[in-house]
Amino acid sequence: MTPEQTQFAAVLHKALTESTEWSTLDELGLHEVTEPPDLVVLFLELGRFAVPGPIIESFAVLPSLLSGFTGKGSLAWPPHLPHAQQADQLFVVQNGLLHHGVACSEMSSVDRSRHLVTVRAADVIGPADARAFDLGVLACSAELLGLGQALLARTVDYALHRKQFGQPIGRFQAVKHQLADTHVGLELALPLVRNAAIDPTPQQVSAAKIAANRSAYRAARVALQVHGAIGYTAEYALSRWLTRVRALITLWGTDSYHRSRVMEALCP
Amino acid sequence: MNIVVLVKQVPDTYSERKLADADHTLDRDSADAVLDEINERAVEEALQLQATHGGEVTVVCVGPDRATDAIRKALSMGADKAVHVSDAALHGSDAIATAKVLAKAVGTVEGVDLVLAGNEATDGRVGALPAMVAELLGLPALTHARKVEVDGSTVKVERETDEGVFFLEASLPAVISVNEKINEPRYPSFKGIMAAKKKPVSTLAIGDLGVDAGEVGLGGSWTQVTEAAPKPPRAAGQRVEDEGDGGVKVAEYLVGQKLI
Repeated sequence: MTPEQTQFAAVLHKALTESTEWSTLDELGLHEVTEPPDLVVLFLELGRFAVPGPIIESFAVLPSLLSGFTGKGSLAWPPHLPHAQQADQLFVVQNGLLHHGVACSEMSSVDRSRHLVTVRAADVIGPADARAFDLGVLACSAELLGLGQALLARTVDYALHRKQFGQPIGRFQAVKHQLADTHVGLELALPLVRNAAIDPTPQQVSAAKIAANRSAYRAARVALQVHGAIGYTAEYALSRWLTRVRALITLWGTDSYHRSRVMEALCP
Repeated sequence: MNIVVLVKQVPDTYSERKLADADHTLDRDSADAVLDEINERAVEEALQLQATHGGEVTVVCVGPDRATDAIRKALSMGADKAVHVSDAALHGSDAIATAKVLAKAVGTVEGVDLVLAGNEATDGRVGALPAMVAELLGLPALTHARKVEVDGSTVKVERETDEGVFFLEASLPAVISVNEKINEPRYPSFKGIMAAKKKPVSTLAIGDLGVDAGEVGLGGSWTQVTEAAPKPPRAAGQRVEDEGDGGVKVAEYLVGQKLI
């Protein structure tokens, strides 16, 4: 990372420790982040804190679709993103065209911090740049890795404190192995995501999303297993990270969609 | 209005701070270094004054090479340029020696209307430096400010100390030190961080300022730390088993300490 990216990550960490409100995100000037490598730094950190709200749309996708976009916006991009989240400005991409969107009915998500709405397309704004979709995929991949890293850190912490049979459960080999596998998965996915930021082609971005999906999902499963019953408790903070991972792995393209894109690039 | 902000890089208050065994100076390598929080408030105040009155904000820092990180932080918050005095001869300088260097460094900035500083650094906690700099520059010193108002060529300050609140007024230029109630510092924005990279930082040695090496450093300082000992660990408390008479025993203990 460049010294500026390191400083940016440190500022984000400090600010998000204090508040994950939308006003904090505005204050940090996140709309000014445009370069893919900087977006990866941003979304890793947003993921670590499980920041709620339409962050991928507002900070990665909409600024790329509409130059000078600021504010809290969300969009639907069927079939990969069937619904939008509640926001001040809504959009829909249909048949390669960007439309203004009108909120219809509220939907529920497995992640209770995602306040979904179905959106109907209104007037056409113009053609939608396909690169904006790949930016969404990239931001989603980075957010998933951030979520996975935070899940692992919380789980390691829990395993070192929770005692059973006279010792911390983290001393048991079966638990250790699960945590180590999770760590390896997340570490191996990170270079793919960083690489996709430098070379955001569909092939690289899709490869990153597949790796991020897998490693974050494993982090979520292991976190749930190691935490035991408390992990299932909605009121326990862990659920914010768990359910976000579950929601994000099928958004911005499923695994099979991204596999087909990688396949297309490899065997045209 | 041109404002100079004096900033210092200090060890993070969350990290364990140590003194070097050899000369009892701060062991800077043993802890993470950050821009002192009170300086963030001083920078914030300068930026707010700049927003109303215009002019330039210059950051002045005396410290080793790694203090550039603290300077970058101030620049990324929005300050325009910086002066960094870095010289091996400065190692171990006390408050007076540092004030001499700072006063000379402030002198390199043209047309200074206001010098802002934090009231005391979190590491040394001397708290005398702003007044010393003011004395050396021959400017009024308004310290421990919780509110600063500039009106034309005068500045009004609410000075808060343990004794109460004083309402001070001085003509510009002046030196003001701020306390932690002055404001809430902003976060550096991403744009600010990227812009800071391109802002000018002039790095000076004491020779460039016309300061004699004999006046600064361990040798040139009027005060010296002759001895230092780590804080003794807390002794274990007294444990009382409650056998129905716990309350009595607690009361007896408190009576023994002459607390009740």
